[in-house]
Amino acid sequence: MNLRSLIRHETFLALLLVLVLVVLSWQSDRFFTVSNLLNQGRLMTEIGLIAIAMTFVIATGGIDLSVGSILGLVAILLGVFWQNVGMPLPMAIVAAIAAGTLAGFMNGFIITRFRVPPLIATLATLALYRGLAEGISQARSVRGYPDWFYVLGQGQVLGVPTQLWILFAAAIIAAIILAYTRWGRTVYAIGSNEVASRFSGLSVEKTKLALYTASGFAASLAAVIFVSRVSTTRSDMGTGIELDAITAVVLGGTSIFGGRGTILGTIIGLCLIQALKNGLSLAGVKGDGTIMLIGAVLILAILVSNIFGRSGSR
Amino acid sequence: MGKIVLSAILALSFSTSLSHAQSTWTGGDDLPTNPLACDGAAATAAAVPYDGGEPTDAPDRKGKTLTVVDVPKLVGIGYFNATSKGIAEAAAEMGTMNAKTDGPSRANIDDQITLIDNYITSGVDGILFAANDPVAISPVLKKALAAGINVVGYDANSQPDARQWFVNQAEFNGIAKSMIDAMAAEIGEDGAFAIVTSTFTTPNQARWIAEMEAYQSACYPNMKWLETVEAQEDNILSFNQANTLINKYGDEMKGILGMTSVATPAAADAVTQAGQCGNVAVVGLATPNAMKPYVASDCVKSVVLWNPVDLGYAAAYVLRAVADGTLQPGATSVEAGKLGELQVINGSEILLGAPFVFTKDNINDFDF
Amino acid sequence: MSMAVNLPPVRPQTDHKRPGLLRRIVAEYGQECVVLAAIMLLFVVVTLVNPRFVNANNLVTIFSGNAYIAVAAIGMAMVIMTGNIDVSVGALIGVLATVAGTLAVSGYPIWFALVAPIFVGMAVNTVIGVLVAYAKIPSIVVTLGALSILRGGLISVTGGTWISDLPPDFLIAQKRLLGLPVPFLFMIVLTIAAFLWMRYSAFGRSIYAIGGNPEAAVATGIPVERRLVSVFAIHGAFAGVAAILFATQLQVIQSTVPPNLELTIITATVIGGVSILGGSGTVIGSTLATILFATIGSALIFINVSAYWLRAVIGLLILATVLADMLRRHRRT
Repeated sequence: MNLRSLIRHETFLALLLVLVLVVLSWQSDRFFTVSNLLNQGRLMTEIGLIAIAMTFVIATGGIDLSVGSILGLVAILLGVFWQNVGMPLPMAIVAAIAAGTLAGFMNGFIITRFRVPPLIATLATLALYRGLAEGISQARSVRGYPDWFYVLGQGQVLGVPTQLWILFAAAIIAAIILAYTRWGRTVYAIGSNEVASRFSGLSVEKTKLALYTASGFAASLAAVIFVSRVSTTRSDMGTGIELDAITAVVLGGTSIFGGRGTILGTIIGLCLIQALKNGLSLAGVKGDGTIMLIGAVLILAILVSNIFGRSGSR
Repeated sequence: MGKIVLSAILALSFSTSLSHAQSTWTGGDDLPTNPLACDGAAATAAAVPYDGGEPTDAPDRKGKTLTVVDVPKLVGIGYFNATSKGIAEAAAEMGTMNAKTDGPSRANIDDQITLIDNYITSGVDGILFAANDPVAISPVLKKALAAGINVVGYDANSQPDARQWFVNQAEFNGIAKSMIDAMAAEIGEDGAFAIVTSTFTTPNQARWIAEMEAYQSACYPNMKWLETVEAQEDNILSFNQANTLINKYGDEMKGILGMTSVATPAAADAVTQAGQCGNVAVVGLATPNAMKPYVASDCVKSVVLWNPVDLGYAAAYVLRAVADGTLQPGATSVEAGKLGELQVINGSEILLGAPFVFTKDNINDFDF
Repeated sequence: MSMAVNLPPVRPQTDHKRPGLLRRIVAEYGQECVVLAAIMLLFVVVTLVNPRFVNANNLVTIFSGNAYIAVAAIGMAMVIMTGNIDVSVGALIGVLATVAGTLAVSGYPIWFALVAPIFVGMAVNTVIGVLVAYAKIPSIVVTLGALSILRGGLISVTGGTWISDLPPDFLIAQKRLLGLPVPFLFMIVLTIAAFLWMRYSAFGRSIYAIGGNPEAAVATGIPVERRLVSVFAIHGAFAGVAAILFATQLQVIQSTVPPNLELTIITATVIGGVSILGGSGTVIGSTLATILFATIGSALIFINVSAYWLRAVIGLLILATVLADMLRRHRRT
């Protein structure tokens, strides 16, 4: 693993982010305000949590496509546990998160125990978990949560949206784990060369199992925040969020082949996408134009980073 | 091989056991229904006090040029093209409204919320919306009201206190009556029919189906309700699902009800290509342009819809009236340009009119 | 074409002994057999429940209704075999369908409207291929970007208007040839042709070589970069054919594509046995998997599974197929 090439992509991306922020604030005086930026943080928390866990998964050379479906399943279970089963809401939240974490564990189990490639395993559970959400919900939405629950998704703590604190905490903890612990190094080692890691005595299977479980947990947490933000549950929640999260991760410089990537990169990638979505909208660009530009930025950022950062090697 | 067979059988037995538990599903929601009288006598509506919201510290916008954004459920389908055409028409007529339409590229609650949030920040005067989910959209609309923005809904409602007014294209029970009446006229009062809908989670469709069920059991108790299939907003899937229904029920099924502007033309195409025109009736909600080929070939006799261009047009006029202060809580009607006086119902809704039934005689008069 | 001599055999494990033909087929095309068995089992069970399942019209619905997905999956299979992926194909099909429809209603000759999407698809995917092969950007990154660009572009350009009044001759997916629906014929002919081409031509075998071991492929003199671009271009051509079948099935062309079409196509490909790590699988498997999906979709309506549980059952069946294949492989090794 080459530390210098690592730094380079993140630096380039950070410069790009600054450039985008400058251009966008010049386009609209409502963009670079504290309240708008904090509000954008609120909107990107769910994708952010999922993207942080996804960074680990992708750094091992894996992928988790089922996160959007886990989000939908947990949202539905939260409502069902609370309203139909009659659990107190805090207990329903814990139970729903536990179920979603179990769904992530199932992914890891299928991947490690049966040696199913992650893409195939999570494609299958993408359909399965979404199907369970639809079946359990019977198309019913659960609404009317007590007011304290909305603090999580719609409230503020010390002037900052509540969920943004969670995202900060998750990002810092994840960054420390990935960069400074033995466990983080195991993640990179698996991504660089899985067979070699196994021979050198690293607990490859255990690590992978833990990562997919963590990914399920992150999606579950995102689900609870999402439900609190929009005050209802629906079985189609989170559809397509996996691609948004993967976009942020790869834009942030994590190699899809594994072995390389940082949490900082993912966070910058996330901010860049959110800034473009918001700033372009404020500057009068329509939604379809914005997604075109985000697509172009993704390709160009990796292209430029490839040209200047590494001499063509993967 | 044994294990494969075993697992497949397990999966199948799982699925069949589920089917017994769930065989009566129709796709309706479980909210209370309010079917109209079979002979079409108007129900006496009790007056409901205004239950909409109010913007906080809205500036005086009387007569001023308004910047308005229209956020439909999604862009890229004929129906919302028509509504945004109506809004643009009204804006051009008034000359004091800059309206633009910007919606998510898929019917996704989060994308829609994010878009509205951005427009609140950008400081528009008014928001027109068609909600993907009545509850999920409400917090962001309340935020718009709190920022002093005038908020008016059309097509799909939010919670009443999250917007000021909602332009109701036709009441749910009115649509239900038109659909079932048209179907009964074609297949007889004892015919059997199936339904192709979009998804279970689409509130309007679930509401219509529930109302249809109530109306049918009250007015045509001998009609047989076969089943409801889901087909997303996907025309090929709708076509395949309609085909499968035709294949499954054969002569038993006399009609298909299409619940969306995507499903209805696809179902009509399935009936046409299966050579079942005249044997299987198609009735449904659809835009006239998409249905012209099937109506012209006599495969489809009636298409139920309000005029979405008028719906958008009315929504724009209501927004203007709210901003000008001429439409106040407690009003009983509102003036909407060429549409004349529109009635206020249910406290804070404005009724566009009765649903319209397009037939061969009049469908060519419409272009949307 | 002498380079083919140096290539590794397609599936080395098959050359050990020479057992019976059936065993050899099962050994070599394991996943294809699993999927085929699942299809046949479904047919038997559902027909026992409701014999109308196998009436001619329903067979047409099952085998023809999803043919466009199968055709797109052929190209996807080639891309995946090289160790790459394409998540933009759903959006590309939407764009190409609109291209075909727009040309057809603006007075261009029908043949031109039907051929143009194939070349436009090739052109778009050539760009993607160049970015992947020469600029060394991972294919998932390029195609994630392309997905956004194509999807946004489609709505920007069309403004969401549907295309109707299509000339009757344009609607080829509704026609029949020799009594069989055209989409079905396209699916069968293209699948067999692609299968034979990939198995017996030097180019086709090099696709497996690139996916199986790129370094070895370079060593044996395969121009890996050029081949990659070609594979993406061919994939674009298949997307063009798929788009035509998609656009001509009904009398109206929507300017939106089915949500998650790319995921359906990728799922069909990998369930059909194409290894996501590259190097193995056949297009017969991807086509069979598409037929399996169509069979499941139809079967669930015929045996009255509540529509609420439909997707859960599909997911369970997919998982069962995947696990069955893994168990089969483990037993053999």
